[in-house]
Amino acid sequence: MNGWINPTAVFQIIVAGLIIGAGLPALFSIGVRLNAEGVGVVSHDGAAPQKNPMLNAVSWVLFAVVFAAVIIGVLFIARDFIAHNTGLYLLGAPHKK
Amino acid sequence: MDLQLFLLIIVVVTALAFDFTNGFHDTGNAMATSIASGALGPKTAVTLSASLNLVGAFLSTAVAATIAKGLVDAGLVTLEIVFAGLVGGIVWNLLTWLLGIPSSSSHALIGGIVGAMLAAVGGHGVIWKGLVSTVLIPAMLAPFIAGLVATIGTWLVYRAVKGVPEARTDRGFRYGQIGSASLVSLAHGTNDAQKTMGVIFLALISYGAASKTDTLPPFWVILSCAAAIAAGTYLGGWRVIRTLGKGLVEIKSPQGMAAETSSAAIILLSSHFGYSLSTTHVATGSILGSGVGKPGAEVRWGVAGRMAAAWLITLPSAAIVGAVTYFITHLIGGYAGAAVGFLLLVAVAGAIWLQSRKAPIDSKNVNDEWEGSLTAGTSEKVPAVKAESTSAV
Repeated sequence: MNGWINPTAVFQIIVAGLIIGAGLPALFSIGVRLNAEGVGVVSHDGAAPQKNPMLNAVSWVLFAVVFAAVIIGVLFIARDFIAHNTGLYLLGAPHKK
Repeated sequence: MDLQLFLLIIVVVTALAFDFTNGFHDTGNAMATSIASGALGPKTAVTLSASLNLVGAFLSTAVAATIAKGLVDAGLVTLEIVFAGLVGGIVWNLLTWLLGIPSSSSHALIGGIVGAMLAAVGGHGVIWKGLVSTVLIPAMLAPFIAGLVATIGTWLVYRAVKGVPEARTDRGFRYGQIGSASLVSLAHGTNDAQKTMGVIFLALISYGAASKTDTLPPFWVILSCAAAIAAGTYLGGWRVIRTLGKGLVEIKSPQGMAAETSSAAIILLSSHFGYSLSTTHVATGSILGSGVGKPGAEVRWGVAGRMAAAWLITLPSAAIVGAVTYFITHLIGGYAGAAVGFLLLVAVAGAIWLQSRKAPIDSKNVNDEWEGSLTAGTSEKVPAVKAESTSAV
């Protein structure tokens, strides 16, 4: 941290940012698409749309993953508060002296 | 009442006023996209955002997060300097709000304090390297990183749902957008209310009413800062919301979701790596990115350029206001100096508010078509024009 800029941290923020910040919306949209195919609104290959419970189930798994990510985000914001009040150090909450 | 106590009271009141402007100036960072896309009604959006800012503020615990730590020589800070710095921050926040420019509230505050410090003790009171490496460089990188992430996110989203009718996808994306915008609001409450708590705490320490070894600011400090930022957020900085939601890009729910997820991810990641980025810079970059990433979308680069110019002059402008305020209060000195400084602030704030009433923007016209500038087309003629165009259809 002696330099004017910390290229490692910047690089890590970009990579993790792309995985979380672009990956989650993409995952969610794939869920939306599979859900639409699963309930028979659109088809994958231009054939007549059919119901497909399997795709429907996969879409809900994807929604659950995204929902879990949001919960982790909230816990991350509250991590200092939780650590301070319960002594539970989640998600790398810094220890205080 | 002795002079120090008088100064302390003025500093606390001014700090809460700054917290309030911080709230309404930054409502748009989280909620502009949801308001513009119609995922949330304007009033619902600001209510949600205000509640989350309130909760977020109570989640702050770090007293170490004193503003300007590592930026100015803490041993030289006086109540007068803190007051002048806060005035610089408030005046710049109000001016940019009048013009509808989303600019960083933290930069305004930092600029004000640095300016007051320069006026008080000169260049050696400022830690220049800290200023460049923790404020200027991150501020230049943030919009580009957020923009890149949002561009790719938006592109992937549109790619994934290609061919699926919009009526089918819209509900899902609205939920996604509301969820991601809520995260941004919560993070904003935690980060930004904490800054004001830090300022008040610093003032209490310098007065002797709090000890450096205290682990938390007194409860009334947390409560009043939380209330001030939430009230400001609820009031809604409609002028800034309009620029962010309508001025830069025409935003649809999928773009809003991608933009807010990008903002939330970058804000949380950078705080994990020990950087505190401006929510405003990140959110603006994300919104621009969501315009670049959507096939066929129009991005108004002129509006973005004006915004970037405002960002560049935020630090020096707030610094000038902070320095002038310091000179005025210090030259008059004593009770009169602080009182004159405070009354001048009230007068300037009042004048800016009156100016804003000439072409008011509120929850009703915030989403009107963008006709080249913030206030163009938002006066009374708009309903008539709208009625004509709908009857023509």
